[in-house]
Amino acid sequence: MIDAFTLPEWAALAPPLLLALTALVLFAYDSINPRSTNRPVLAGVAVVGALASLVTAVWFTLAGTGADGPDAGYDLWFVVGDSVTGTGAIDLFGGQLVVDQMALFFMIVVAVVTALVAVASYDYMAGHAYQAEYYSLLLLAATGMSTMAAANSLVTIFIALELASLPSYALVAILKDNRGSVEAGLKYFLIGALSSAIFVYGISLVYGATGHLQLEAIAEMIATGEADAYSGLLGLGIVMLIGGFAFKTASVPFHFWAPEAYEGAPAPIAAFLSSASKAAGFVILFRVFTTAFPLETTTAVIGLDWTIAFIILAIVTMTVGNFAAATQQNVKRMLAYSSVGHAGYALIGLAALTVDGGELVLGAAMMHLLVYGFMNTGAFLFVGLAEYWGVGRTFDAYNGLAARAPVACAALAVFMFSLAGIPPFGGFWSKYFLFTGALEAASANSALLLVAAALVVNSALSLYYYSRLVKAVWINDADPSLDRDFGGTPTGLYAAILFAAVMTVVLLPAFGPVADLAIDAASAVLVS
Amino acid sequence: MTVGIEYYVLLSLALFCIGLFGVLTRRNALMFLMSVELMLNAANINLIAFAFYHGNLTGQVFALFTMALAAAEVAVGLGIILVLYRNFRDVDVTVPSEMRW
Repeated sequence: MIDAFTLPEWAALAPPLLLALTALVLFAYDSINPRSTNRPVLAGVAVVGALASLVTAVWFTLAGTGADGPDAGYDLWFVVGDSVTGTGAIDLFGGQLVVDQMALFFMIVVAVVTALVAVASYDYMAGHAYQAEYYSLLLLAATGMSTMAAANSLVTIFIALELASLPSYALVAILKDNRGSVEAGLKYFLIGALSSAIFVYGISLVYGATGHLQLEAIAEMIATGEADAYSGLLGLGIVMLIGGFAFKTASVPFHFWAPEAYEGAPAPIAAFLSSASKAAGFVILFRVFTTAFPLETTTAVIGLDWTIAFIILAIVTMTVGNFAAATQQNVKRMLAYSSVGHAGYALIGLAALTVDGGELVLGAAMMHLLVYGFMNTGAFLFVGLAEYWGVGRTFDAYNGLAARAPVACAALAVFMFSLAGIPPFGGFWSKYFLFTGALEAASANSALLLVAAALVVNSALSLYYYSRLVKAVWINDADPSLDRDFGGTPTGLYAAILFAAVMTVVLLPAFGPVADLAIDAASAVLVS
Repeated sequence: MTVGIEYYVLLSLALFCIGLFGVLTRRNALMFLMSVELMLNAANINLIAFAFYHGNLTGQVFALFTMALAAAEVAVGLGIILVLYRNFRDVDVTVPSEMRW
């Protein structure tokens, strides 16, 4: 094996940097040739950029960048840091950004979803006048999400969050003549602006209580007791921060934008927001609460255990999401509420943390977000396929689709059963780990039994509405009076759906290494 | 003579609550944007007062970033309100209700 070539430490930020570079290339192309609708080139550049980001993130993960210990990674040709013998988390710019295993894990999720969405948009956005703008906004939002994964200070978190949010508002409203899209964009923007105002006010209160914005510095001030005099400010600040995170992850109490925004938005954008944006919201949620507000010391200062807040939020979010999804007639709205329900499952990752443990359940939440990135993106892209053919929006309109598109409908069945958590698919394993993690923590806090029970009950309920969609496409017959005119077979949409389906299945045998990776990443964050 | 930190916090809290009240009661999208700006500026007052109080510049610098981001947010918001007006001939946020079937 040849000696590894060492890259400078800032190169660890290559995944978000490549996304930003791609967005700028698209902008440059657009400014030279503003009226171009050369879809192959524009979509191609976007896909190549997203894939480059994905490849570097996977490469760094395999090379053990940001990991600890001598066996951190494989001895690859290019490594970041001084050696492959475990550099530990790489702090950049005075700890404002950090690249560790958790950051890389979520960079992978964001890059995968961005690539799938860019491929699918090739067909879905055909005929749209603003191609270059669309792809560059997509890549800019992805840059924000990828940076959120590495943000390690409330400043960088807020800036990255806004970088992810602002292009998303525009993307939801990008069908400018479609009243649904504009309405969705308006609602998403209004609630987003409100929640970011609450979020930044929470940041200012935390800053007032501790005098710092960098997460480790905040934790130190809390641990040394210097924030004791301001426990009220700190507590209120933490509550307001949770409000901001709840918006980004589409959890109760800021979930009500999700069904409106997803329904009105172009389907690939709905897929992007519900998978990548949610995952990015969760990574900052995990990082802030594990790094800046360690359970033991924060409880001592504010007098309240913050896991209680997440226990309540997790139960309410998954129940609201699943019950609302069960009553929907519109497929996209059903998926939107189901995405609220899945945010509730992922919240268990924080609800079941204990003073001396929790890496299993935090790792399980990370795995769930990865699997969710494939199965949920795929499900929304199937809706995109149906919209492309113009078959309508309700369950009834989907009747008998399998006769026209058996392969895509088989993929849909995979997504639905995986979302429901049926054993042979990836979605089952992440839910299983969440369940065992919650049970493990229940010995310390019996409220977790309630969370575990809610998880099981809600999964059972979700099987009802997911299988209803599978029944519609496979078993029900299409209304014969309907003379449906399907266009050609959209290659891009098909490719993205099939890839997502294959990954949902492949994650099953690959679940061991993925689980190890996620649990290692979680324990590294919890220890620091 | 310096003003105590608690007065700054009271001022910013009052501003935040005025903004929140505006968000919850106003139906005009532009008034909504102005109310959100009030809430963001309440946070800025806090950040700058606390930066002075703690004797470090972190808060002041962050306040600059917040202002820039608030401006960017308004730019995107006004764009969305513009297409809203084109489609619905109104900037009342309760008028668009296409998706409640």
